[in-house]
Amino acid sequence: MPHPARPKPADDIEDRDPGLARERTELAWTRTAISFAALGAAMLRTSATAGAVVIASGVAVWGLGQLSARETQPTIRKRWFGRWHIVQLITAATTLVSLVALALALVAPGSGVS
Amino acid sequence: MANDLPRPAAHPRVAGNGGSEPDARFTFANERTFLAWHRTALALVVAGLAIIQFLPPFPGIPFGRHLLALPLILLGGVLSVASYIEWTRHQRALRRGEPLSASMLPRILAIAITALSLAAAVLSLLAPAAGH
Repeated sequence: MPHPARPKPADDIEDRDPGLARERTELAWTRTAISFAALGAAMLRTSATAGAVVIASGVAVWGLGQLSARETQPTIRKRWFGRWHIVQLITAATTLVSLVALALALVAPGSGVS
Repeated sequence: MANDLPRPAAHPRVAGNGGSEPDARFTFANERTFLAWHRTALALVVAGLAIIQFLPPFPGIPFGRHLLALPLILLGGVLSVASYIEWTRHQRALRRGEPLSASMLPRILAIAITALSLAAAVLSLLAPAAGH
């Protein structure tokens, strides 16, 4: 038993296994991972390396989604690796990727004056 | 450790965050909203890159495409951070059983898209005239 003393707000079956909500969330993670891959593909033209890294990060995002769907710890900040950190990781990834895209937009071939 | 949890001893580290664990369905719904904003942010970044890479330059307007693309990409980064802040606020409110605060994100997005579409319209109107 990983969390023997976790207090439950309500002892109802949907709370322990919120099946459809969990599934919808997993699908949302998959869509987000595909969005990452699409952004990577858009980057390939300017920088093959950046594009490949972002496409690979799409796979990592999908993995985090699987992790999130199985996450059962309380949603509080001070845990070793919980939902809070998964959300933080995705935020960091998206912000970083948009900064890389900003740099690519500035150096893209044919992106000079006019 | 002064809090009002029914079983504080079983949950020693909750004090800093307060409240109790919400219904898992609410946590998942909050997460889906966060993810939807992130997809929006990523789509904006893709749109910005596409403008630079696939749109022909506006004749006679230096950096015309950059005027549209760079704000789009920056907006993507801003939405990403802002949606994280929203997620933490909502999760905290759910834990404490408080009402959810109004989201600031739709306003940011609406203002930015309005401004950018106006800029795009102005650029499109100016470009052919400058080409003559």
